Amino acid sequence: MKTEAATRSWLALCAASLFVMLPARAHHSTAAEFDASKPVTFTGTVQKVMWMNPHIYTHIEVKQAGAPSMVYHVEGGAPNALFRQGWRKDSLKVGDVVTVSGRRAKNPDSPNVGQATITAPDGHKIFSGDGPAKVSGD
Amino acid sequence: MPKSSTVLLVWVLQCCAVIAHAAAPADSIPHLSNGKPDLSGHWNNPYTPDMAVKGRVLDPKTRQPLDLSRAPLPDARSSAAGSGPRTLDLPYTEWGLKHWKSYDPVNDGDYAGSCLPFGMSRNINSPHGVQLVQSPEALAMLFEQNTWFHWVPTAGQKWPQDMPPSWNGISTGHWDGDTLVIETTGFNGYTRLDTAGHPHSKQLTLINTLRRVDAKTIEHTVTVHDPKTYTRDWMNVRTWRLKPASDVVMEYSCEENNLGNLFNGVIKPWKPPEDEDED
Repeated sequence: MKTEAATRSWLALCAASLFVMLPARAHHSTAAEFDASKPVTFTGTVQKVMWMNPHIYTHIEVKQAGAPSMVYHVEGGAPNALFRQGWRKDSLKVGDVVTVSGRRAKNPDSPNVGQATITAPDGHKIFSGDGPAKVSGD
Repeated sequence: MPKSSTVLLVWVLQCCAVIAHAAAPADSIPHLSNGKPDLSGHWNNPYTPDMAVKGRVLDPKTRQPLDLSRAPLPDARSSAAGSGPRTLDLPYTEWGLKHWKSYDPVNDGDYAGSCLPFGMSRNINSPHGVQLVQSPEALAMLFEQNTWFHWVPTAGQKWPQDMPPSWNGISTGHWDGDTLVIETTGFNGYTRLDTAGHPHSKQLTLINTLRRVDAKTIEHTVTVHDPKTYTRDWMNVRTWRLKPASDVVMEYSCEENNLGNLFNGVIKPWKPPEDEDED
């Protein structure tokens, strides 16, 4: 539908803008890995957080009816930048339930999801903006 | 004391206080034992993935924006991550334009994604800050990006004449008043000036200047002199801010997960060009 398509385009624009604003994204070409035409949204359970350079990955398990679980690897920002924003590896804990919106990889066999936002059940974003350990002042 | 003398004394004291206050920022600039400004500190140098943003490409002599055509380049390869379609955004030579239009790290191999040295220009452009450590003899630049370092002698020391070309080049520094001028040459030609992929040749002389304008601010300029790639010199001017004490330089290992991306094909490994020219 036209409205839905417009909304999708707007979301794509927002995601692209967010992508441009995130300095940590500069290290390799996300455009090369992820497919802008493959948006994905899912709710699952955190398995682990890989706190690694240049991008962190959060592994999130999604139960599927009548099929084995799918474990997505959700790419995030650079760990040093996230640390400075007040995020820590344990900002998400094993077993936490979150909702992810992002884009699937071009490779259909890849579990990676990029340009993603992770949202907690109470609506706040994880690994985005200022985190709980943010220190201000100088 | 007569009333007029008291008024005069108060006025003089107030003037002294005002002058002292005005002078405080300059006085608060730390200095080295040789009297030169000490640039040491952990600095937030602005992330600059594209050095050719409109209005930022300046004439080094006048510091006014260069008049550039910015015409589209429809035959250019697809842009690097995060940058728009390529245009005539710098004063390219024919050689420079060819290398600007043909840059395609996704399909031809990505030296930055392969965790190879970014080069002096792109090190400074990168987003993670730089720790400067300075003595009267030298400046050490500790880039958080990939935990790289760069050494800049500043007291007339000479590098060996036969140093091989390198990714980050060889720098020497000298003082022009209170401005540290760093000239870097000796590049291997494998790097780009920025993430967008603006080219340079082995003939590049990169001139960075650093001037501590107050305790918490450095004015940074970078001038690109590369007659093989550009028909004229051009420059950027940027402001660095001192990071808060709580913000410390951290380790950064690009290989941690880019190694996996290189093995699984997400990032195409970089290889030296086969038709490498010698100049």
